[in-house]
Amino acid sequence: MNGPFNSGKPVVPEPSPQSAGASPRARKPKEPLPFGKTKQAREAEKVLNHIVDDFDDNPKAMDYFYDLFRRVYCRGETIAPDGPLIGTTCIQAPEELIYAMGATPVRLCNGSYHYDQIGAEFMPSKSCSLVKATLGMLTSDDPVPRVGKLDLVVNPTTCDQKKKASAMMQDMGHAVFDLELPNVKESEASRVYWQRSVRSFAEEIRKVTGKKLTRKNLKAALARTQRAEKAFRVLDGFRKASPSIFLGKDAFLVVNAYFFDNLDNWCEAVERLNDELKIRYDNAVRAAQKKAPRIVFTGSPPIFPNLKLPLLIERAGGVVVSDETCSANRMLYDMTAVDEWLVNDMVDSLADKYLKPCTCPIFTKNDDRRRRLLELVKKFEADGIVYQAFAGCQVYEMEQRSVAKTLDENGIPMLYVETDYSPDDEGQLSTRIEAFLESIKTRKRMRQ
Amino acid sequence: MNYFAGLDIGSTAIKVVFVDENGRLAGEHVTPTGSLFYKNAKEAFETLLTKMALQREQVRYLIATGYGRKLFKDADDSISEITANGIGAHEAGKAFGGVGTIINIGGQDSKAIRIDSHGGVTNFVMNDKCAAGTGRFLDVAARNLEIGLEELGDYHFKAVAGPLDINSTCTVFAESEIIGLLANGHGKGEIISGIHNSIARRTVRLAKKVGLDERVYFDGGPALNKGLAAAIEDELGREVVVPEHPQTTTAFGAAILARSEFLAESAERRAEKVELQAQAALAEAAKSASCGPQCGSGACGAHAG
Amino acid sequence: MKSSLDGMAPNWRQRLTLPRGMRDAINGVDFNRFRFWLQIFFFVLLVYGGFTGLNLGNNLPTFSCGYNQNGRPGVCYLLPLQHQLAMPTKALLGYASLTILSGLFIFFLWFIVLNKGWCGFVCPLGTVQDWITDLRVKMGARFTRYSQASFETLSWIKYVLLALMIVIPLGIGAGYFSHDLGAPYCMICPARLIIPTLALNFDQLVLDFSSPGKIVMTTLGAITTGLFLAGSFVKKRFWCFFCPMSAFHYLLSKPAFFRLIKDGDKCTRCGDCYTVCDLQIKEIADDVKNPQIMMDDCIVCLKCVAACPEQGALKATFAGRTVFESTEEGFIKRMEKGTRA
Repeated sequence: MNGPFNSGKPVVPEPSPQSAGASPRARKPKEPLPFGKTKQAREAEKVLNHIVDDFDDNPKAMDYFYDLFRRVYCRGETIAPDGPLIGTTCIQAPEELIYAMGATPVRLCNGSYHYDQIGAEFMPSKSCSLVKATLGMLTSDDPVPRVGKLDLVVNPTTCDQKKKASAMMQDMGHAVFDLELPNVKESEASRVYWQRSVRSFAEEIRKVTGKKLTRKNLKAALARTQRAEKAFRVLDGFRKASPSIFLGKDAFLVVNAYFFDNLDNWCEAVERLNDELKIRYDNAVRAAQKKAPRIVFTGSPPIFPNLKLPLLIERAGGVVVSDETCSANRMLYDMTAVDEWLVNDMVDSLADKYLKPCTCPIFTKNDDRRRRLLELVKKFEADGIVYQAFAGCQVYEMEQRSVAKTLDENGIPMLYVETDYSPDDEGQLSTRIEAFLESIKTRKRMRQ
Repeated sequence: MNYFAGLDIGSTAIKVVFVDENGRLAGEHVTPTGSLFYKNAKEAFETLLTKMALQREQVRYLIATGYGRKLFKDADDSISEITANGIGAHEAGKAFGGVGTIINIGGQDSKAIRIDSHGGVTNFVMNDKCAAGTGRFLDVAARNLEIGLEELGDYHFKAVAGPLDINSTCTVFAESEIIGLLANGHGKGEIISGIHNSIARRTVRLAKKVGLDERVYFDGGPALNKGLAAAIEDELGREVVVPEHPQTTTAFGAAILARSEFLAESAERRAEKVELQAQAALAEAAKSASCGPQCGSGACGAHAG
Repeated sequence: MKSSLDGMAPNWRQRLTLPRGMRDAINGVDFNRFRFWLQIFFFVLLVYGGFTGLNLGNNLPTFSCGYNQNGRPGVCYLLPLQHQLAMPTKALLGYASLTILSGLFIFFLWFIVLNKGWCGFVCPLGTVQDWITDLRVKMGARFTRYSQASFETLSWIKYVLLALMIVIPLGIGAGYFSHDLGAPYCMICPARLIIPTLALNFDQLVLDFSSPGKIVMTTLGAITTGLFLAGSFVKKRFWCFFCPMSAFHYLLSKPAFFRLIKDGDKCTRCGDCYTVCDLQIKEIADDVKNPQIMMDDCIVCLKCVAACPEQGALKATFAGRTVFESTEEGFIKRMEKGTRA
């Protein structure tokens, strides 16, 4: 790493033997901080404490995830990958292909304010926190989560900022593959274009791992993600319970862990959690008040440690019952259907799964996103929607209007919040969120 | 007589309002927030008690609102200032024939609230994290112009030439712009009306986002400034309703809510009591019924009547 | 992996008419295998049923090929229809119109029971195409697809064939064309050569040199059959795009009992249904407004329902009652089977 991008590197001067021996107090060379004391570890620790301690009676099985985040984010432990490590910057990179050819994917999207600040040193001030933090992390020698040396970064050409990030990541010394994603998803031409992109992506991975994509290894990879998707759907099902038995802050943490955790360990942990939730459901254990407003979260993705908004909602007595974000629902909800189980057919089916149901605002139209929100509100018996747009994320900012209009026509209240990773608007946001939840309660009371 | 209190702990001022059993405004008190807001809030509350010669016990329910609401542990409950403002404006607006849109300019934020015919908030927007167009902005301007905050309104109407354009919306940059205008020999009236217009533009933009009702209610400390109210009217193209006590609308709303919460809770308690009594009566009846088969022929008094 | 799906909250299910267990069993069925066997059953019935003396009449809405004289248990309606239309115009306007109308009516009664399900489950020619597809998959070869543009053009051919199938016999009756053109569609229909052959009747496997008209028609028939065999190997349900019976069905499908219904609100447009659709019908995934989602090319094979992961987004109904619907559990079960196989 070179040039302007090494800002995250802690500067450690060589200790000189004489000065150290002469006066231990004065001018002692600065030791690198132990990991747990670094800014990024403290930031993570603080949020984690809120997630764990601000709520009573968290599910026991959540301990796996609390512990995982503490190990990785607060103590800087590494999760060893199987084979080469391939970073992805968006959910559109088909991870089944990565697994099939013997590599491990890690999602690089970052939620840390610390890295946001580092990214701000070389990115335009109006760029979105997520992109700044991701690039900020990639410049650091000591990134959390510890992604290690990346053998390849896959950068789907989604929004403009991520597109332009491609060259910047290359300048940092990463090998970057631009996975070409179309801007329109409805047309058959874009579907075919995308299927071709995905095929060339498979070719690129083959170059990294040296393994061929076969019917057998692709099927095995599909089976692994299928297990994850199934576990996710079951978990998602429990969030329909009213009164709620599971909180959104935990749900976000679980899916955030999917970014970097070992796939099989993650599946096991979620299955354990599901077993526990089943018992909680049968025993009518409540995680929130009976009349707690039920919120569907949409817009820019909450990524640990930036769980600011979901936490504010749940600390104010609401429950995030579902979401329409790429850090959770959009990442794990959709499943692949295959007709013939031949390599080509499976690859095309995978490509379809990563394009067609995607409700990312980078596409020209957003009918699917609006329909999805209406359906989620119905399915989860939600009372309102909180729409987060990261300042600088133009596509989410622009879509706000049409989403608000659709929801208004359907009598669903929405709170639009423009924010970023910085903690300084928490006071103001908590007022807005509380007012929103109060207005929902008043509305419900009126209806009765 | 029972009273109910609303305590609005804002960024610049603490407002206390008492309402009586009928929900009518009984007394109010405003004091600067200062740095020790908890102590000051408590003092403000006690000052009003003294002023009205009331005992603490007479205030049956206290609801806190405003930025400091959660840290004021003496309150029975807390509510966001948006909800409280909606209720307060709804109640106070009845005198003007009912209001549907509220513009509130506070010490460090400004908001527009849309309420339904019951005073319930249906939509609201707030300025983003920036003091532009808030009371703070007026504060800074008054200081730069070396006049009192309360004089701003008078100066507004003294502008001979048209209002000047203030281009900076940022409080910090506007400061230097104002100094520059003064140095160029512009009159205070023109500058002030320019500032008012700039605030009005921002605020009306917020109000339009939530939708304008026939009558727009304008409250918050800066609503005392007649010049600003006039600028907002110009910008809106319609009249705004400014209540007699614009600063205390939110605290008033909290007090109204305190009263209804209290009534609801005591109704619940009464209902519980009635239920308990009913249960007791039922148990009693069951007991007397159970003696039926054994009692045979009229030995029991129950059969006598 | 034990099925933790049993633990799903029960309130997601709609209130159902059948007991829940039975419903789940139906919706979770290994659909492809079920259909495979059902198709075999109908194949045997329609190709060899005649040997048992079964007679279902002359108005069947599927390719129970009339040229399979001993094996057929009834006759595909297209054959008698073309013959009837070729009657002299005068007769056609007189008494014969009754024959045609009553024939059409019986055809219609048969048809409305299964709608285009006749194509997806019953038609022996369709079944043959599915077998050819299975053979290709076994060999590990890939299928082809039409581009969207050619799909839209090709989709018209079946209507053209339907029109010709009516106009040419009328022309024969009016004396414009030679009787040698016979039942023109049957002459070029691959079923005429394939179905009797499968019943060990090889009479149709010849070129008829008795007249120029017959030479042309039997040659065309040989060509289409060759195309059929080659086409079905590379393209799923190759012939169904061009089938005039399919066009005929579609025109009459409004009052049918058996229906394919889509609840657009529940659809995430994930395209899973489109991915598995043999007929490349894009609307099945993309149209979220129209609940009557059976398009003209559709064969109601219900593969889309089996491949839909959204609870109740797609369903097959009979006279308004749901008989098979998409479920999350069913989908997962079927796909898990795929990855494990």
